[in-house]
Amino acid sequence: MNLDKLTIKKAHELLKSKEITSAELTEAFLKNIKEKDGDIHAFLSLTEEQALEQAKKVDERIAKGEPIEVLAGISAAIKDNILIRGAKATAASKILENYIAPYDATVIKKLKEEEAVFIGKTNLDEFAMGSSTENSGFGPTKNPVDLERVPGGSSGGSAAAVKAGFCVYALGSDTGGSIRQPAGFCGVVGFKPTYGAVSRHGLIAMASSLDQIGPIARNVDDAAAVFEIIRGVDELDSTSVDMKWQDYWDRPVDIEEIKIGVPREYFTHGLDPEIEKNIKSIVEKLEKEGAQIKEISLPYSDFALAVYYIIMPAEVSANLARFDGIKYGLSKSLPKLLDVYLKTRGEGFGAEARRRIMLGTYILSAGYYDAYYTRAQKVRRLIKKDFDFAFKDVDVILTPTSPTTAFKFGDKTADPLSMYLSDIYTVPANLAGIPAISLPSGEIDGLPVGLQLIGNSFDDIKLLRIAKTIETIIK
Amino acid sequence: MLTKKEVEKIAELARLGLKEEEKEKFAEDLSSVIGYVQKLSEVNIEKVEPMTGGTNLESVTRKDDETKNIADLKMREEILTATPDRQDDYFKVPSILE
Repeated sequence: MNLDKLTIKKAHELLKSKEITSAELTEAFLKNIKEKDGDIHAFLSLTEEQALEQAKKVDERIAKGEPIEVLAGISAAIKDNILIRGAKATAASKILENYIAPYDATVIKKLKEEEAVFIGKTNLDEFAMGSSTENSGFGPTKNPVDLERVPGGSSGGSAAAVKAGFCVYALGSDTGGSIRQPAGFCGVVGFKPTYGAVSRHGLIAMASSLDQIGPIARNVDDAAAVFEIIRGVDELDSTSVDMKWQDYWDRPVDIEEIKIGVPREYFTHGLDPEIEKNIKSIVEKLEKEGAQIKEISLPYSDFALAVYYIIMPAEVSANLARFDGIKYGLSKSLPKLLDVYLKTRGEGFGAEARRRIMLGTYILSAGYYDAYYTRAQKVRRLIKKDFDFAFKDVDVILTPTSPTTAFKFGDKTADPLSMYLSDIYTVPANLAGIPAISLPSGEIDGLPVGLQLIGNSFDDIKLLRIAKTIETIIK
Repeated sequence: MLTKKEVEKIAELARLGLKEEEKEKFAEDLSSVIGYVQKLSEVNIEKVEPMTGGTNLESVTRKDDETKNIADLKMREEILTATPDRQDDYFKVPSILE
């Protein structure tokens, strides 16, 4: 069996027809991890016992002839900032090195009801802050496509685990591109749902008005299958929204029905010309197949990254105040409380986390609040309006996922701003709260290219259906 | 742009201990990001309402219900066990008074 090609649909069929047991499947993944993850380092910890126990439960049900859920018995990897009760949850930070989650995130609860098998917790940039996993407190993940290159980030461990055949699908979180950019770098599918579609309860918070959990998978169908399980209103997340969702599987979308907007601002300076060629050739292909292509403008795009680097650190500085050495995690024992704070946080947080906490503290401090924070919130509104206006005319917006393919380790670590620019095409969807997906769209010198499709608010199912149609044509 | 002194002040407000040799680099990094975000001053924001969150929902609240408890007894114990310093069912902190 080709573990790195196995889809949810195929795995489900194999389990149902008893060609393989869930225990065998789980063991096959664990074996693959033990053989190869020494080089890749996609995982921070494995949840082997829990996984095998769950697999056996599913096998018993199958043996009894009971029907099983679509995700039952199928191995998933979970980003280590999402809580699984009884398992370590470090967010790749030294400050949470030995923290054991006392409860399940809502997405985990929902997946458990499906009898999903959690194989392990994946690596990330510390507290999901970064675009390469180089900010992990426990060493970076390597891109399975080329071990000298980064897998992207922050959900780099999840994307690498899917690519390397360590699981069938994974969960990531996306604050400014952290699902889509690594999916693009590793050549898999990554979906960030509409803000509010999926509960954030049990996700270690980075920037609360931007964070969203979503799937990383081998194709659009699998991403949709996972999304249909994890979405939904949750009383433990007051920003989750009660929606009547369409059924993804109802009907496919014909390419001739699709109006695609191509924003000119996403094809300017900084974009690798080879990526531009790749994306434009796909646009031509889609047009030939009957899609309606429209050049559009999102005039405030150029300001999105600047807005992001005000809003995000402001929220980070508030969210990370909870790591104080008192309630959980690392604690430096000293006689004075102030010294406990200073030493615990000074030593527990890595450089990027401290940079962003300080940036947020500065921006929110008296005298600067209006000049930075309020101004950024206003420009955020203008960015949202750009999208609102565009979606009056088009169903979906097509862009590159990232301006480059996977870069080499160390290329961008000396200058934080150069690293931040990796997210220039993904950040706007988070600011606007709208859904977006990255699909593999080919290769340049053996490295995967990602194509991003952005949808309107709560048009997640429509976006996924369109993505499926486009995926079929690209292949 | 930001001086070493300002970095020290911000770090103190944020309760972050910094090593002496890190301060210059942080001053440089923070200055470069703050320099970059200055570009927002080019935008005309007159009459624009700030977007204060990710959704249009407003003040979602629920009824206070003391019988509703998301933590079972085992979870309660696990939460208390996770604390670095504990006395009975309390989180223990050092004295804040001189």
